[in-house]
Formats: sequence, C-alpha cells, structure tokens
Amino acid sequence: MRLKRVLTLRTVVATSAGLTLASSSFVAAVSVANFVLGDTAWIAILVGGALCLLAASCFSELNGLLPTAAGLRLYFSRAFNDQVSLTVSILYMLVVIVGVIGAESYVLSTVLYDVFPAVPPYAWIVILLLLVTGMNVRGIKIAGVFQDVITYGLIASILAFGLIALSKVNFHLSAPLSPGGATGIISAVAVGVFLFVGFEWVTPLAEEVTQIRQISRGMMIALGILSVIYAIFTVAMTATVPKEVLAASAAPHIAFARATLGGAGVSWMIAVSLAATVTTFNAGLISVSRFMYASAREHALPQVFSKISMRYFTPWVSILALLLIGLVASGITLLTHRYLVLVYLAAAMESIVYVLAGLAVISLRRKMPDQNRPYRIPFGYLVPALTLLVFAILAVTVLVTNPWVLVYLAVAFLACLVYVNTAVPYLKKKHQARKSASRRRPSRAAKEVEGK
Amino acid sequence: MAIHEEITESLMAFTENFNKNERLKIMNRDWDRVVVIQATDIDSLHTLTLVDGVVSLKEGTSNDPDLTVISDSETLADIFYGDITPTEPYNNGTLRIIGSEDDIIRLDFISLMIWGE
Repeated sequence: MRLKRVLTLRTVVATSAGLTLASSSFVAAVSVANFVLGDTAWIAILVGGALCLLAASCFSELNGLLPTAAGLRLYFSRAFNDQVSLTVSILYMLVVIVGVIGAESYVLSTVLYDVFPAVPPYAWIVILLLLVTGMNVRGIKIAGVFQDVITYGLIASILAFGLIALSKVNFHLSAPLSPGGATGIISAVAVGVFLFVGFEWVTPLAEEVTQIRQISRGMMIALGILSVIYAIFTVAMTATVPKEVLAASAAPHIAFARATLGGAGVSWMIAVSLAATVTTFNAGLISVSRFMYASAREHALPQVFSKISMRYFTPWVSILALLLIGLVASGITLLTHRYLVLVYLAAAMESIVYVLAGLAVISLRRKMPDQNRPYRIPFGYLVPALTLLVFAILAVTVLVTNPWVLVYLAVAFLACLVYVNTAVPYLKKKHQARKSASRRRPSRAAKEVEGK
Repeated sequence: MAIHEEITESLMAFTENFNKNERLKIMNRDWDRVVVIQATDIDSLHTLTLVDGVVSLKEGTSNDPDLTVISDSETLADIFYGDITPTEPYNNGTLRIIGSEDDIIRLDFISLMIWGE
C-alpha cells in the first residue's frame, strides 16, 4: 500500500519556516539586539538557531517513533502520563494563542495605524481577526503551493531588505566577537528562541510524507534558513537605525524599511508584515481549534467545542471561542502596551516544551527500547540531555528576569492543573455514564446464545 | 480481541448509517476517498470506498488508499460501531491513521455525525 498524496520537502520547509515568520519576530529581534553589545546580535541569533537544532533532533526522534497528527499530546502521554500531557498541551495552546495573537495583533495594528492614522488600531485587529476567523470557519487553509509562495516570498523579502540595507551603509562588523556579559548573552539567546517559535508544529504532517526523515530534514533546513535571514536582518536593522529608536517602537521593521528604501520600502514591509501575520494567525487558529475539537471529542473540554459546521466541516464553536479569546487578549495588550511580556511568555513556554521534549526522548528510549525509530539521535543521551539542560537554563533566565512572565505562567499552569484534575474527570465520568447505557456493539456471548 | 466478522459487522453498520444519512451524503459528494482498515492483532483487512457521497465496503485491501486506519481489532470494532470516539485511541497511540491531517479530521467529523458524541 502506498499513500496517494504526499508533501514535498519544499512544502515541509515552507510549513516549518512559515509558522515561525511573524511580525512580532522583528520586535523579538530588536530585543535580542538590545541584550548584547554593538552589532553582535547575529551571534545570539545563530546560537539560538543552533540550540533549536537540538530540540529539532528530539522532535525528529519522537516524530519518527510516534508519527501522528496529535504531536505533543501523544509524545508526552506515552513518555509521562495522560495528565501531564493534557496539562502541558492545554497550557501550551493557551500561551501560544494569547501570546502570539496578543503580540502579533499589537505589532500589526501599530504598523497599519502608522500608515492610516484615521483608523483606530483596535479596528485593524477586529478586521484581521474576523477575516482569519471567516477563513477558518469556511475551511480555507493557507497550505501547499500557496504556503510555499508566501513563505519563500517572505524569506526572499527579509533577506533582500537586510542585504540592501547593509550595502547602503557600507557595513563592516565593528566588534564581531564581543557581545558583552554572560547575562546579556543568555537573555539574548533566550528571547532569540522566540524567533523560532513554532518550527516544530510541522510534525503533524508526519503521515503525509513518504519518508518520515523528510520532516526532520525540513525542520533542520527551516531552522538554518531562518537563523541566517534573522541574523542578517537584525544586524542590518541595528546598523541602519539606532537601537534605542528601534526599541522604542512596536513596529521597528517599518522604521527600518523607511530608513532603507523610503516610502516604497514602507509599502513593501507592510505587505511583508501583513502576509506574515495572516499566515501565522491562519495556521495558529487552525491548529488550536483542531486541538480544542479533539479535546472535546475525548471529553477533556465541554462537548460544545466539538460542534461542527454542517456546511464547511469545520469546528465553528472552537473557532469562534478563539476569536473571542483573541479579541480580549489583543484588547488588553492594546490598553496596557505590554506586548513584550507576551513575547517573553511565549519564549519561556517554548523553552519549557523543548525541555519536556528532551525528557520525553530519554523516557521513551527506556519505555520503548525495541520500537522502530526511523530517526535516532546519535551520541546516546547527549543531545536530549543537552536540550533539557540548555532550555531549562533559558526558561529560568526569562522567568527570573521578567517576574510578570513568571506570575502569568504560574497562574496559567495552576489553572490548567486544577482544570485537568477536577473538570476533566467530571466530564469523562459524565460521558461514560451516558455511553455505557447505549452500547451498540452486540456482546459476543449474547450472540453465541442467540446462535444456539 | 474481536474477530474478523465483528469488524465486518461494525463496518457494515457504519456504511449503512452513512448511506441512510442524506445530509452526510450531500456533504461528502466531493470527498471521494479510499480508506483501508487494518487490524494489527488478527488477519483482517477491509476497504471503504466513498464515491459521489456513497460508501461501499469490500473485504481485502486496496493498493492506492487515501487513508489507512490501523488498530487492534477491539478498538476498530468499537470505533465503527460508534461505541468509542476515534480521538481517544488516536491521542493515546492505540489508533494510527496514515493520511492527510484534513482527511483524518473529516473521518472523525463523519463518525461524529453518524454516531453522535
């Protein structure tokens, strides 16, 4: 038997890279630059990318061992237990949706308000979220060739902007290897991880490729490309516009585009920003709404979230619930202007998930030693142990240097823990009681009696 | 462990309920798919074919499936009788489905519409 429709490596790379390319990445890039001295942000970005390669290796082994669209939910359930898996999955989805929609909509609305000051920023957020919600309810997915065109277009644009700016200022590295103190570098790398948030969300495509190794290869190539373009772009931004001007803006890439290519540059960058945000929202909403639907189907969320549109075959209640969460999250972000907290929150959560991925590889090698692994990380436990250690340090760094992030994450974690330990058993019990009374499959003993 | 005939009966119940549901047939008119169902613990293979919103069942495999549903015989019989949702065994790894993510979700939607929660 062979699978009819398969994805190419080009699409796997585009999907992995496309999920990480967002407007808020430019803000994170400026944050990285601010933690280090001079024009050495490229070091922190390349180190961040290299560290993400460690995590990518762990995801590759997990994905080969358990190829599934359920991803983390299954890896962590097998490696630890169902409660841990469900708690982490719900927390991760919550942080991603609040963090990414909050930060992303804030950045994009700032960009658009800059150009069209007559329209209030929140109106842009509402329009954009309604547009993406409409696309999701109708089942329109940015995927395949369309995803390839957008992602490779974004990559080419970011690279072109960087190179044009560097040539215009006749750039030379002034202090190429002096990034400053250890704390600054660790913080820069920790925030740099945000630049790669979501690269591993390509693993649900595991059953759509002919060779499972294509997923790992795709993730690695995507990380390599992203590291290089982010490094070039960030150095170009700080070489063209003073760091303090960039740091004071929620849309530093627009200030950079204006300084590099004037009005034409701004138009081009707005197009880049819009494409990056719409693809991120679209992919994020699809993934999280499907997660909510699947959770409702396994009775971990109220049944209402499994309602589907009779016309478009989409989980419309979950999608509308996400629209509400998105509107509230972006409204609060717009009022408080604390978008950077969301960037740090997502970076910390991502690091924690990578720590658990490292632990899961170690645990599953002990629990399922003889299971076929199409991709096995070389050098024994070294890489998963390093992943665990490095990302634990990065997560702690983000949490210690940003106490509000620690508070938000702790509160969200406790809420998820209480929910999984109280509401989920109640929902499952309720379903079980209803279900056992209406079993359709005839028991074999009854059939045998009938046959006699 | 379920026997081959039980899986066949569960698939017949699934097919019959699908074909009785006019709404489901209209909704799946453009979703022509070949689904192979394979048990891991007994020798049992079936093929469900959806063409123009109508499902047909045959024993044995197909060389060119869009989706391949793989699990132990008990889980397969329970899923196609609608006694358990596919999501639970899928999320704990008991059920494996080879195919595109969109098709996997669609199959679950169909199961939900036939059997309810």
